[in-house]
Parts: sequence; C-alpha cells; structure tokens
Amino acid sequence: MIPDSIPAASPSLARLIQELNRLPGIGPKSAQRLAYYLIRLPNEEALALADAISAVKSNILFCNQCQNLTDSSPCSICAEPQRNQEQICIVEDPMDVLALERTHAFRGLYHVLHGVISPLNGVGPDQLKLKELFNRLTQEDVKELIIATNPTLEGEATAMYIRRQLAGQDLKITHLARGLPVGGSLEYTDDLTLSRAFQGRQEL
Amino acid sequence: MAPPRSYHSEALILKHAPFGEADLLVTFFTKERGKVRAVARGARRSSSKLVGHLEPLTQVSLSLAQGRSGLDHVSQAQLMESFAPLKDDLEAITKGFYLAELVDGFGSEANPNQPLYHLALATLHAIGQDPESDLPLRFFELRLLKVSGLMPELYCCVECRNDLAPDNHRFSPDIGGALCLECRPAEAHVRPLSLRALKVLRLLDRSQNTQIPSIELDSSLALEIRSLLKMSIEYWLDKQIQSNSFLEQLHREEKPGVYS
Repeated sequence: MIPDSIPAASPSLARLIQELNRLPGIGPKSAQRLAYYLIRLPNEEALALADAISAVKSNILFCNQCQNLTDSSPCSICAEPQRNQEQICIVEDPMDVLALERTHAFRGLYHVLHGVISPLNGVGPDQLKLKELFNRLTQEDVKELIIATNPTLEGEATAMYIRRQLAGQDLKITHLARGLPVGGSLEYTDDLTLSRAFQGRQEL
Repeated sequence: MAPPRSYHSEALILKHAPFGEADLLVTFFTKERGKVRAVARGARRSSSKLVGHLEPLTQVSLSLAQGRSGLDHVSQAQLMESFAPLKDDLEAITKGFYLAELVDGFGSEANPNQPLYHLALATLHAIGQDPESDLPLRFFELRLLKVSGLMPELYCCVECRNDLAPDNHRFSPDIGGALCLECRPAEAHVRPLSLRALKVLRLLDRSQNTQIPSIELDSSLALEIRSLLKMSIEYWLDKQIQSNSFLEQLHREEKPGVYS
C-alpha cells in the first residue's frame, strides 16, 4: 500500500517506496525514510546498490551439489579438494553455512535444505532440497551425515524425517549437540535443554 | 503517562514466527484470555532468557504487558510442561502441530475457553503416551466441536427430529449432523454414516472432557470416523487443514526408505 503522504507528482518515488515496502520488516514509514535516504545519496552509490541487486538476481544459482546459493556451480566449498568428502553437514539456510564456516570447526561438505518441515505453514519434505540430498547420497561416497537443523520443533521434525527416510542405510547419522549456550544461565534454562545437557555431559 | 498494564496467564504455545531482527511473534492459547498474540523481544538470540520457553506445543506460565499497538509483549515465560515424550516422535510432533492448528482456528482472541484449553493439554499428553494411536486426535476433534458449541447432532435426525433407529444413516456437516434415510435435504453435502461409526462418535461425545476412552478401531472404521470429523472441522474452519497433508504423507510412507 502506498502511504497517503507520497506526492502524486512523483510516481517514480512512489514506486520506490512501494518496492521497499515489500521487504521483510520494512513498514510504510521505514520505506519512506529509506527512499528519501537513497534520493540524497550520490548517484554512484545509489547506482552501485541497484547494480548489486541486479547482479545478484542474474548471477546467483543453486550449487548442483550442496544447493547453496552461488555464482558458479559447484560452489567454492564443494570445489575445494582438501575438504572431507565423506562428511555432509545438513543445514536449513545459506546463512547457517556462513555461521559454521566462521567456526573453522568443520572441514567437510554441506547440504542446504532451504527451509524446514513446517506443517502449520504447509511446508512438507517436497518443498525442501531433500530429494537432492538423497540423490547425492547414492552418487557420493558419504560416510557421515551431520544434521545441523536449528533446535526448534520444526528443525527436530526435519531431522527425524531425514533419519526415518535413511533408516537401515550404512551411514553414520549424527546431530549437533544440544545444551547450554556460552554465557547462558542454568536458572533461566528450560527443562528440555537442561535434560539434554545432562544427557550430553562430557568427562573433564 | 500510566505504565502499560501487565497480566499473568498460563498458556499453550500454538506457533511462533520470526519478527523483526531478533524477536518472535508468538501465538498463545491462554487459559484466562483465549488466543493472545504477543511479541517476545530478543527471543531469537541464544542469550535470551526466553529461549527454550517459547517453543510450540509447550505449556508455559507467562507475564505479559499490554502493548499500545495492539500486540502484547512477553516479559517473562516459565516452562510448565514441555510434553517431552511427544517431541521424541515425528508422527506425534505432526499430530501436535495438527492440534495446534485446530486450536488456532477455533480459538478466538479475548474469548477464553477453558474446556478447550484443558482438552488440548490432555490430548497432547495422550499423543505423547501413544504416538501411533489416532484415537486421541479423533477424540480431540469431536470434543473441539462440542466445546466450541458446534457439536453435530448424533441422537436424532437434524431434519425431522425423530430419534435415530439403530441402523446405518447419513451425515451432513452443513445441516449439522446425522440424517435419517427418509430425509433428503436439497443442496446438502451428505455422506453415509455407519451404525458402528455413530456408536463410536456417541461414545466420544459422552466421555469426560479430558478422559479419552479406551477403544480399538479397525482400519475401515477409523478411516470413516476420520473422514466424517475432518469434513465437519473443515466445514466450520472454511479452509483446509494445512498440517493434515504432512500427517497423511507420513501415514502413506509408513514403510520409509527412499532407496527402497
């Protein structure tokens, strides 16, 4: 919806506000503020933003192996020969790959599902990149599958579905540990997390 | 300026969605106020005190502050019951989502329905105890219609009001329940209702609100009752139940294995 305050004499501004208003978390007022900010920007800066949006839309594709978003397929991670080709870590979103890469704790490959099973939103296994994962497992020599979906109910349901579909396969399926976050407090931790932290306790 | 009014309530969490940078928009079904949507600020950060206390299908004790924009704010949440056994089984979780979708659809804001609240909690317990049984959901569906004031007529014909003879009959959600074989209302969606199904529905109707009777249903009877109740629920909701498609997919894939 175009806010009433947009001058009718400026249809291009109205269009910009309308387009910004479509972005997640951007209401009509924020859209107006962003639009006026963009107008005040020097030409080259504003056009660099437009160019970046245009380039990302024309260049980005799914990596044919891990399904992550990339400029070329296979992506730089899948194309890296030093990586452990026998481990695949399954994540919900491309941003999770970035978070795990920042840790330098994992040197295997990834598979991005692009979502989780969410029955309330009508998202089932067919809407995720699961078929691609199962195809990969028939073609690649994978020994371990590490499920790194978020510890939410939908994330757990997705992990259980994958385990169920791969039941009986000669494949080690692991799950990231559940427990206490760094900087957390026992007092405010929920019962389920605490009981899982106990189950996953480690010898010092 | 007067401070925002705050209140306490216990609630079942139906669903949540990301909101803003790190917030959650949570839909609660509270015991005292019916459905409430509230924002939990910062709840998506791992350091938040609310993390883990706002997962769907969890019973919590809440402190909320009434917001100026119509959405309340969660100031505190303490887990009361996590329904842990239910969350260890995929089918049970999916049934829980199905229940949450129905409570969300039939519950209304500022309109408490304590029988529905207790029914939902009892059903979640029963699903956790026996994830494979469909009876808790069938019980929930019929009792949901009852506590929402939408109970289909099961004892006499909705058209002629004569008592139903012990025989096979017909059923129509748009007319409001069972029909005798003589009555044929125009433009009604009608389907057969076997005597066995009628007896099971009456048994579920006469049970205590939170006590699921112990009965065994063969597959054809279970299918008939599931279909009759789904028809009634979708008629009143006026839409399809989203979570039902994944539940049905799990039933179809009872022997899983993508390689098989």
